Amino acid sequence: MAYLRLDRLTKSYDGHVNAVDGIGVDIARGEFLTFLGPSGSGKTTTLMMIAGFEEPTSGGIELAGEDLTRRKPYERNIGVVFQNYALFPHMTVARNVAFPLRMRGFPRARQATRVREILSLVGLGEYRDRYPRELSGGQQQRVALARGLVFNPDVLLLDEPLGALDKSLREQMQVELKRIHREVGVTMVYVTHDQTEAMTMSDRIAVFDHGRLAQVAPPLEVYHRPLTRFVGEFIGDSNFFTGTVDATRPGRIELDGLGPIQVDVEACRRLGGGRVDVLVRPEGVQLAGAGGPTLPNSISMKITVIVNYGDSVLVIGDARGHPVRMRLAGAPPDVVREGATVTVGWSPADAHLIPRAAP
Amino acid sequence: MLALILALLAGLFLIAPILVVIPMSFSTAISFQFPPPGYWIGYYRKFFTSEAWLEPALNSLIIALGAMALTMLLVIPAAFGYVRYRFRGKPLVNLLILSPLIVPHVVSALAYYGFLGRAGLTGTHLGVIVAHGMLAVPVAFLVISATLKGFDRNLERAAMSAGAGPLRTFVHVTLPVLRPGMLVGALFAFLSSFNEAVVALFIAGRGAATLPKKMYESIRLESDPVIAVVSTLLVGAVVLGVLIPLVVRRRPATRPDA
Repeated sequence: MAYLRLDRLTKSYDGHVNAVDGIGVDIARGEFLTFLGPSGSGKTTTLMMIAGFEEPTSGGIELAGEDLTRRKPYERNIGVVFQNYALFPHMTVARNVAFPLRMRGFPRARQATRVREILSLVGLGEYRDRYPRELSGGQQQRVALARGLVFNPDVLLLDEPLGALDKSLREQMQVELKRIHREVGVTMVYVTHDQTEAMTMSDRIAVFDHGRLAQVAPPLEVYHRPLTRFVGEFIGDSNFFTGTVDATRPGRIELDGLGPIQVDVEACRRLGGGRVDVLVRPEGVQLAGAGGPTLPNSISMKITVIVNYGDSVLVIGDARGHPVRMRLAGAPPDVVREGATVTVGWSPADAHLIPRAAP
Repeated sequence: MLALILALLAGLFLIAPILVVIPMSFSTAISFQFPPPGYWIGYYRKFFTSEAWLEPALNSLIIALGAMALTMLLVIPAAFGYVRYRFRGKPLVNLLILSPLIVPHVVSALAYYGFLGRAGLTGTHLGVIVAHGMLAVPVAFLVISATLKGFDRNLERAAMSAGAGPLRTFVHVTLPVLRPGMLVGALFAFLSSFNEAVVALFIAGRGAATLPKKMYESIRLESDPVIAVVSTLLVGAVVLGVLIPLVVRRRPATRPDA
């Protein structure tokens, strides 16, 4: 059942190009949905339309069956957290957090209890009398979060809220955000260009590509079964090969320049025929031969670069002019050396097929 | 080290002539003389009891306050319009607003003399307020539009999503955040009018003679050492005017928000 419904939202600033081009998605109550995409893909503009800061050129926004499209931001019951925090610099933490309650005419005593509750939820109880500039970036973002949540909004919108924080703090805040989402149960729409954030926190990810939705699905589905080549390349590390479905032999694809490979027969049948993109994630690529498993799809490649990550290594090789990326868990075996030639392969189940749009 | 000495010398060069008037204001000499032959506070007594000096002082205060109010009334909306909207001819509007800064004061003074004379406003407070208000527009506009450019509009968005309509957003968020910049703009407008002599000489007449006009006339006609008193008081007032905001801004924690 849709709680927040975006219906073919379109936004054009100049009357020619659509910054947002027909975004339609149904968001369930209590869901954590992430808008993921490169900058300029329309995700923030879409968020601003939900908040009411931008008016859609066409399309509509519905919340719990009510039309929000033309309603002013202050007539919607929607909280917003901004990347630069946007805390009121002339107010203390407590007054910042109380602001939405004051504007909504909550009685004073109720304001005080609610502010105390929400500040303890974000772990800032002792900071209530500080000014924003006296807090660290992470603390400021918690205040912004508290201010966005304090009035029990129907939806909380977050616009790259962790973008200004350093890496370790960002990871810590991801866990925090997830916990708060669980405890409060509010519907959250989260904008980011960071795929890790999207993967770790979301119930579903909506991938934006040039103002359109390329795919809306749970994180693992987006990762393993991207609908378009753009999604596959944007999320995670990837190997893409192009090829043609061999219509006469089920489960067989002729890769351009690399020869035939075996893929899942069912998936191949669904495609019927024609040109395909074949996605193999680097962790699906394995070393073949020399005691390893025998793989139906194997190619030999010359190793050009080895990147060590400690818990894994990324091996980049060249197979007849095609770059191949292979991720091996743990320490690599001796045969993996820069300049060496190895045979690698993958099982048919690890190859994901995306039909190529007709040229 | 050399740079420090040079800086101190330059500072001394700038400030010494101003500082000289302070001992002179306590001088017993009947005309300007440095160093003073003796000290007393007689000229201070004269200033504070003489109608001929107190009236221009009061005029200056009234006119400076009026000009400041007029300037702010014009500049605040102008700065919002200029910074927040796109429109045709924006560079031209900018030039127009800054033109009082470019046109020589004598030329402006002559123009105001003709224009205000026809309107029957020469020699009135209102006339000088209008002229001084215009002259203060560029500086106030520069200060306030710069403050406004640095204003994070997400603050207003945050206020609106918190349930505040446009008016309450302005009163509770926009205005308090911009207040320091606006105060500086207002202070500059006040000082620009309070210190202005050329236009005042042309249009203030007898009815609205300001302190700088009276000083100019006094030094031409009588070389009255009371001028040193007035100068000292003016310098003191300006120093206070600049120091107060500095001190106030240093302890914002005690300032209640709107």
